[in-house]
Amino acid sequence: MTPLERAEARFGWKLVAPTILVLSLLIIYPLVYNIYLSFFDVQLNGDKTFVGFANYTKLLTNSAYYSAIGTTGLYLFGTVAGTTLLGLAMALLLKEPFKGRGLVNAAIMLPYVAPVISVVFGWQFLFDPISGVVNYVFVDVLGLWSERANLIGDPDSALWVVVIFDVWKHAPIAYMLILSKLVSISKDQYEAASIDGYGPIGRFFHVTLPELHFVLATVILLRLIWNLNRFEDVYLLAPNVETLPIFTYYQAFTGVIDQGLAAATSVIQLGVLCVFIWFYIKKVMKW
Amino acid sequence: MLGKRTIKGRIAFVIAVAALVAFSLLPFAQILSTSLKHQFDWGNPSLIPQKLNLEAYKELMGLTEVQKVEIPAAIQKILDNPNLPQDKKDAIAAKYTANDNLFPFGKYMLNSVIFSVGAAAISLILAVMGAYAISRLRFKGQTVIQRSVLFVYMVGGVLLMVPLYQMAMNAGLASTMWGSAICIFLIYIVQTLPVGMYMLGNYFRGIPFALEEAAMMDGCSRKEAIITVVLPLSLPMLATVFIYCFIIGWNEYLFASVFLKQYPEFHTLPLALQELFVSKNAIWDRIMAASMLTLAPIVVCFLLASRFMKGGQTEGGVKG
Repeated sequence: MTPLERAEARFGWKLVAPTILVLSLLIIYPLVYNIYLSFFDVQLNGDKTFVGFANYTKLLTNSAYYSAIGTTGLYLFGTVAGTTLLGLAMALLLKEPFKGRGLVNAAIMLPYVAPVISVVFGWQFLFDPISGVVNYVFVDVLGLWSERANLIGDPDSALWVVVIFDVWKHAPIAYMLILSKLVSISKDQYEAASIDGYGPIGRFFHVTLPELHFVLATVILLRLIWNLNRFEDVYLLAPNVETLPIFTYYQAFTGVIDQGLAAATSVIQLGVLCVFIWFYIKKVMKW
Repeated sequence: MLGKRTIKGRIAFVIAVAALVAFSLLPFAQILSTSLKHQFDWGNPSLIPQKLNLEAYKELMGLTEVQKVEIPAAIQKILDNPNLPQDKKDAIAAKYTANDNLFPFGKYMLNSVIFSVGAAAISLILAVMGAYAISRLRFKGQTVIQRSVLFVYMVGGVLLMVPLYQMAMNAGLASTMWGSAICIFLIYIVQTLPVGMYMLGNYFRGIPFALEEAAMMDGCSRKEAIITVVLPLSLPMLATVFIYCFIIGWNEYLFASVFLKQYPEFHTLPLALQELFVSKNAIWDRIMAASMLTLAPIVVCFLLASRFMKGGQTEGGVKG
């Protein structure tokens, strides 16, 4: 190593040191500490007693845990499929430049940046059994339902309201990712496919889809990673939909508080998350 | 895809775009509309209020006159008792004149601004330093740091709430008001730092090294080259990252509820709005007006940032 290289390395370390310090203290260490906590009976005031694997056995024999896993599975399936398909449809629709595209883009992106706390109230009002426009349309205008329903009050239907809400909120980001790839596909490929006799649908399956393969995988993986730990969107819109993060929150901070059990839940969830992230770094990132 | 060459195709295209925009904006329109409606009008599916109601906004911004509360005669009698010390009298009077319905929106907004702007600023400074190091300088362990930042970035808050709360408890921070506020501040920094570093790292890599090299040839040190060459070139991106970090802090609910719930003094907007919603003082027009005012700064920031964000430069680096 030349002195110049050594100076560069020293400067580099100096620059990242504060970041490393903060991130290890407040993210890496807590993750490890969480594993430690999962073997204890932990009180809210910080008292701990060692219980071995008791938290894990308690968790794995708890039927509410399995129902939370089921809910999370449905939620993940609904949001991942919905977001990817809607994002793809939006990208295909808005691919070509047209007048006013900037405005349309801004309008579409708004759900993604808006604070969850504000928009959930809009959604709650839309689905309100008395004043909501959804009930008005389905009951009074279309006559599809015989009576007004409280869709958010009932956990089974609330799950699907949450899924629609989430798709509404995150399709824009899928759209952005897919669009940036879509516009880079060269016209020649479409022309070649036309000469080979493919119509618009054939061209979509033989040119567009294979080219988008990679970006679609990215979108799906990112959605899985973010939505596995999604808390606010679900809890604030419909606190009765118990996905794993909400299940953990209730264990940790409400009712009969059991932070050790919550820690155990998080440890298992971290394991699953790591698998997704490993896939993402291995297959998608060139970082 | 819709062929735009035919009239039919063009009409279908316009309808599809209009439907998409309507779907995206309907909840916002609903919030705005309900915030401006009188109660008798709520059940009316039309988005346009029959009669404009600005009371909710006036109330939130503190423009309504403080209502004078009548003190019950029995209490007035006690207050008139000359044997009662003055401070006791004041305490009783305060209890009966306090206006519990008031929602100190301005205070919550100020809290939110302090937490999210402060955290975003510190986060940005750390991110600039870190991102420059991992994208420009060669040193051992660089790849490991890079990967760790990405990993850390994807760990959701839910996985950290229990250990962070316990750590704060052990350190004696979670049981005091100021300690909890410090915790939230630190947490908002780590929640935004990895995103900032990721976005800036990608951006710095795109700036040609020759520019810095030239500055250093002219006798600048590396530090000076960063400050005089790299940072001015990155201004739009710095603004974007700052706004992005600000939005994350502004929208955060989970940690605020864990650490600040018992300290109304420090409630941020998301927490205060949720508390208002579940309280008995929940009135749709007031909630919607508060939502609107919480939304507004974000919309403004977003419109500012979107100018710089053209072409999806941020690629896969966007949280959410």
